[in-house]
Amino acid sequence: MARRAGYEKGTVRRWRTVVVAAVLGGGLAMALTKCGGAPDEKTRVLRHSFDEAPRTLDPLRASTVYTNFVLLNAYDTLYAYKYLARPYELKPNLASAMPTVSADGLTLTIPLKPDVFFADDPAFANGKGREVTAHDVVYSIRRHFDATNLSQGAWLWRDRIVGLDQWGRDGADENADIAGLRALDDHTLQITLTGPFPQIVHTLAQGFSVVVPREAVDTYGQELAVRTVGSGPYRVTAFDSTSVTLERNPRFRSEPVDLDYEGYDAEEHAGYNLDRIDGRSPPFVDRIEIDFIPEDASRMTSLTKGDEVQVARVPAPLYENYLSSKVPPSLKPAYAQDYNVLGVLEPGFLYHSFNLAHPDFGYSDDPEQDQRNRALRCAIIKGFDWPTRNERFYAGVGQVFPGAIVPVSPEYRADADQTSITHDPEGARRLLAENGWTADTLPPLVYAVSASVRQQQLFEQFRGFMQAIGYPREKIRLKQYATFGDLAEAWKLSELPLINKGWTLDYPDLENIFQLFYGPNQAPGSNEANYQNPEFDALYRQASVMPPGPERTALYHRMNQMTIDDCVSISGLSRSIIFMWHRDVIAYPDRNIVGGHWTRYADLID
Amino acid sequence: MTLKVHVLRTLLSGAALLIGVTFLSFVLMVYFGPPLEYTLLGKNPTAEQIESVRDALHLNDPFFARYLHFLHELVTLDFGRSIVTGQPVGSLLARTVPISLGAVLPGFVLGNLVGLGLAMVAAHHRGGWVDRAIMAASVSGMSVSLIIVVIVAQVGLCSPLGLNLFPSRGWRVHGFGDYLLYATVPTLTLAVVALGYNTRFYRTVLVEAAAADYVRTARAYGATPRRIMLGHVLPNALIPITTRVLFTVPLIVVSGSLVIESFFGIPGIGQLTFDAIQSNDQPVLKAVVSLTAVLFVIVLTVSELLYNAVDPRLSHP
Repeated sequence: MARRAGYEKGTVRRWRTVVVAAVLGGGLAMALTKCGGAPDEKTRVLRHSFDEAPRTLDPLRASTVYTNFVLLNAYDTLYAYKYLARPYELKPNLASAMPTVSADGLTLTIPLKPDVFFADDPAFANGKGREVTAHDVVYSIRRHFDATNLSQGAWLWRDRIVGLDQWGRDGADENADIAGLRALDDHTLQITLTGPFPQIVHTLAQGFSVVVPREAVDTYGQELAVRTVGSGPYRVTAFDSTSVTLERNPRFRSEPVDLDYEGYDAEEHAGYNLDRIDGRSPPFVDRIEIDFIPEDASRMTSLTKGDEVQVARVPAPLYENYLSSKVPPSLKPAYAQDYNVLGVLEPGFLYHSFNLAHPDFGYSDDPEQDQRNRALRCAIIKGFDWPTRNERFYAGVGQVFPGAIVPVSPEYRADADQTSITHDPEGARRLLAENGWTADTLPPLVYAVSASVRQQQLFEQFRGFMQAIGYPREKIRLKQYATFGDLAEAWKLSELPLINKGWTLDYPDLENIFQLFYGPNQAPGSNEANYQNPEFDALYRQASVMPPGPERTALYHRMNQMTIDDCVSISGLSRSIIFMWHRDVIAYPDRNIVGGHWTRYADLID
Repeated sequence: MTLKVHVLRTLLSGAALLIGVTFLSFVLMVYFGPPLEYTLLGKNPTAEQIESVRDALHLNDPFFARYLHFLHELVTLDFGRSIVTGQPVGSLLARTVPISLGAVLPGFVLGNLVGLGLAMVAAHHRGGWVDRAIMAASVSGMSVSLIIVVIVAQVGLCSPLGLNLFPSRGWRVHGFGDYLLYATVPTLTLAVVALGYNTRFYRTVLVEAAAADYVRTARAYGATPRRIMLGHVLPNALIPITTRVLFTVPLIVVSGSLVIESFFGIPGIGQLTFDAIQSNDQPVLKAVVSLTAVLFVIVLTVSELLYNAVDPRLSHP
């Protein structure tokens, strides 16, 4: 019995050890994750949320809305978009004025504000941030042309600035001068273009163009992907896969807000308390905490909890829970008291381009076949039911429009011909019959997506549309790629007959959209449709160097009609994005184009 | 066979396993991973730029040169830097593994301990209503999706619609109080989800052990049910229990729990791995896959040793 009791005690001891080890293990892990002291309760904190996480904070890779958002808070760009003005308007930011442009439009002289300092950082001598100069701007732009940096932003300036591309090809010698990109003195930048490029000012408002000090690159190298050393209103103090924290930069310059200049409209912006920031110098909060919450239910739980996230994008599947009307959005009574709501159209669109290099759907050397292929494309366009797609997948709040002139652009005309977006299955069937297409002769149509349930649903709907115009069900085929990268490769290699994707404007100028159809940009460039139309290309070259105005608008509409007449794409739909935020947050949280610039103006009602 | 020979045999088979796993995973990553050159490049890339990126990433190197380089990284435990963030992979793991342990380990332990307790009660009342009730609850628990449990926990414990006692997500841990605040709901969620599987498994193991001859003998000697369960049944069921527990450890340490970390906004190794898969961040993926394999081999070896400790007959056939 004594032996048995010992056995029993031994077992109990073993399990007790397991429990103690687990508790100690948890405690140890907790101790390892402990970082810094508890936050000061009096700190004024804005808690925002993203529906995706930025993967990097490196300005060389500022290709997503989310990375761009954070960068525009931590760094300065020469120019920025006015907080509230729509259509979007540029304004000087780090620059002290808009550029002076030479008579031939090729030389821009940009003055910089004096006494702007980088945030204090160990990268600088004595840890004290030095003054931002024009040399820093030169350094930051040419970094993109050093091939070893694998920049995603070089395309903004490729073949645009005299000597810049060649400097990169020659090995990116840091001591070599670039004729077209020079600091005339500490506060004057001069850019010489290879040809007229009025959009250059827009490129200087992008996250790719933020001003990075050489000391930071030398000190941190690749780790600039997770830290920032800039002169923006905030500086990043913590960043991981679930959140980013930005603290106020105490050395940020004093620049009182002129609300009228920023585009304030008392009627349009009523109820947002924006008048409270007029005349005051941002930033207004001590800290911004941004949680990355891709799960819709979690994001809305956090928003409505009261003491967590204060600003969030409302996901389309949950509109019914929060909105009493969707266009324009208004909140249900249960939420209207405590929350603001704002619906904005995206500065971009969803579309399906045909790959015109594809033998079954694109160009053919045989004129008769070429005509039949065009008819086939036109019939597919007629068979596509945009209103149904909008209703089923975008809660009916998107806006369908013909061609590529997106509704947010000043050139958009609501009275444009709607034929190309009118669902006309009867007309499609007729067109197919007239051109000799039958169920037997129609070629297989591969609809490629990255693997997800939603993408498969989009395919199923597309197949339904096509069946309705007489396309045999078995000829509409789904091809799933494991990741978006795989799918992008197939587009770039022109392997697919149909390219269904979205495009977001990098800057609010239609040149940025029409480049999608410009012949020399054919795949692997952005013209994945491989559209070749010399007349279109000539108009593109002409329009892209013109200043905004009626003449340029007329050219854009001609170009738009060409793509419609040639049945290049099934297009398009601009999605609506609906934001909800606590009423005690003073903000206009439209992140489109303006990007993260709006958070410098965000304040809290105490 | 001596214990030393037994351990050596285990280590040798572990090394073979390690080479096989790393080779297989390397082949999968090289040939089936998403093409990096298209995600790393910006808009309008030229064919020349694409080629230049491929060169920079050594994608044009011969297969075996790349595999040997990978083995060198594995041996030196230097996996380089993440392609996406530029951080050393080692420092990424050092930051995320403790967070995952802190977030997942308590739920794992709780789920196992409570599961084992319930299993013992069920096994003791085998065939009775208590047993049936526990098994019915276990099967119900196994049938509910983890995501549903997460949402119910968030609404019930973290929102104004419920008790609103805890933060719904995040990991802003500055002290033990914060830790309790942020770890409680993930812990309860994990424990609830694991409970059904654990209870059912442990009950099966215990019932089998309780049917052995020595248990009948113990009963004949007049041992109390508690003494039989703790002194005879439980020790003899330790091998499958140990196996189950030990083989879960590498997954917790290196893989974390993606769903838990994702829904609760915990920046652990699960989230890191998921992001690396999505962006084909090969240095991170190689590290995670390789270290998981290494840990499995270690666990295999340790479990072999433990089997011998629990049942000495295994090393003296």
